[in-house]
Amino acid sequence: MIWVWIALAPILGGLVYGGERVLRARMQRRQGPPILQPFYDMFKLLDKRTLIVHAPHALLAVAHFFVLWFSVAAIFLGWNLLYIIFLHLFAQLLLILAGYSVRSVYSHIGSNRELLMVVAYEPILILVAVGLYLVSGSFEVSQILKSGGYLTQLPLLFAALLMIVPIKVKKSPFDVGEAHQEIVGGVEIEYSGVFYEFLYMSRFLEYIFIYSFIYLFGGESHWLGALLVAGVFLLVNLVDNATARVRPAQMVKIIYTVAMALAVFNLAGVLL
Amino acid sequence: MKFFTPFRKKSPWVLHYNAGSCNGCDIEILASLAPKYDLERFGVINTGNPKQSDIFLVTGPVTYRSRERLVELYSQIPEPKVVVAVGSCTATGGVFRGMYNVEDGIDRYIPVDVYVPGCAASPQLIIDALVKGLEVLEAKSKEIEKPFKLFGAIETIHNKLSRLNMATKVEPHAKD
Repeated sequence: MIWVWIALAPILGGLVYGGERVLRARMQRRQGPPILQPFYDMFKLLDKRTLIVHAPHALLAVAHFFVLWFSVAAIFLGWNLLYIIFLHLFAQLLLILAGYSVRSVYSHIGSNRELLMVVAYEPILILVAVGLYLVSGSFEVSQILKSGGYLTQLPLLFAALLMIVPIKVKKSPFDVGEAHQEIVGGVEIEYSGVFYEFLYMSRFLEYIFIYSFIYLFGGESHWLGALLVAGVFLLVNLVDNATARVRPAQMVKIIYTVAMALAVFNLAGVLL
Repeated sequence: MKFFTPFRKKSPWVLHYNAGSCNGCDIEILASLAPKYDLERFGVINTGNPKQSDIFLVTGPVTYRSRERLVELYSQIPEPKVVVAVGSCTATGGVFRGMYNVEDGIDRYIPVDVYVPGCAASPQLIIDALVKGLEVLEAKSKEIEKPFKLFGAIETIHNKLSRLNMATKVEPHAKD
């Protein structure tokens, strides 16, 4: 049964992405695209001619997608949380390498910003894993889901995690990595057709990845987990519609001062 | 593949280029993307990246400074693609027709599929033109389309088609 969910993970993420586009449209009093729009986009991309810069560049996107899929599968299978985080980091590094492997300046800027994003959110993710370990006594996702009470003991850590969700799903105010027309998609710029589709689908997997961290805070109660995910989903989109983009340096500064302080403060409280 | 062809008209991604326009048509294009007219309900995304676009929205009468970029952008869009000329200037030259620094319309340089009249073209007309362009897009094959002018060559390197020299520069001091 769990293997079916792992196989369906990109489709599940696609539905979340499609629903999000409709939600954002409704927040702006628009009709918005149909909820299956991401899949229409995917099928259309299969029908386009593909322009390739060079073979490793194209293959790195495919590798990025599959490593990301593997890390999402590791969450579903209930493996070690630290292992999952570093697997995800590896997937990001493949994407950053892809960005640096072409001559486009925008691609290089995108890679730089992608690196800054990793620098910003990675410590918080690890602190979240440490916090969950301190309360539940295990890094295993399956063990973490068997105990509860994370939200009462780690409220500030949850707030810190909340701050890095927009970085991961590329939403304002922390959407410096893709930045719409400013750097034309950053690392995505030189991709087209089938290979762009892999990057497009890996975005769906990012949604599953970061929202499953939110879900972990529900602990043994599935209802609480689902409620948290729905609430954070609404909040992130509301903030996305209401704020402007900050500069990359400001993003790192905000995360390192506010989110890091919240996380460390909470961990110190649990330890003492 | 035949199965995927119907999905072309469900997700047209747009590239918008200003070839020396007065900004009137550009504002109307942005208006049709904004909440009131909401082009996104057709699945339109303004990508800004030629390599991921299907529809090329051009405004302006093609000034001498912009023609190289126009052809360069056109040749970077992978097929199937549709060109929509938005506004009177783009179609015929409009009020700029016959001036010393403009070409009269983009169809001297690249093949155009849909013309939109109007100075400036209204958002309703732009939406109509995009929907018309979707019909054209669905009927198109994946043959490589070439610009009329400034076309270099499509070479075969290691059994792969190379577009690297597809768009050329204007020769300096050419007496045209």
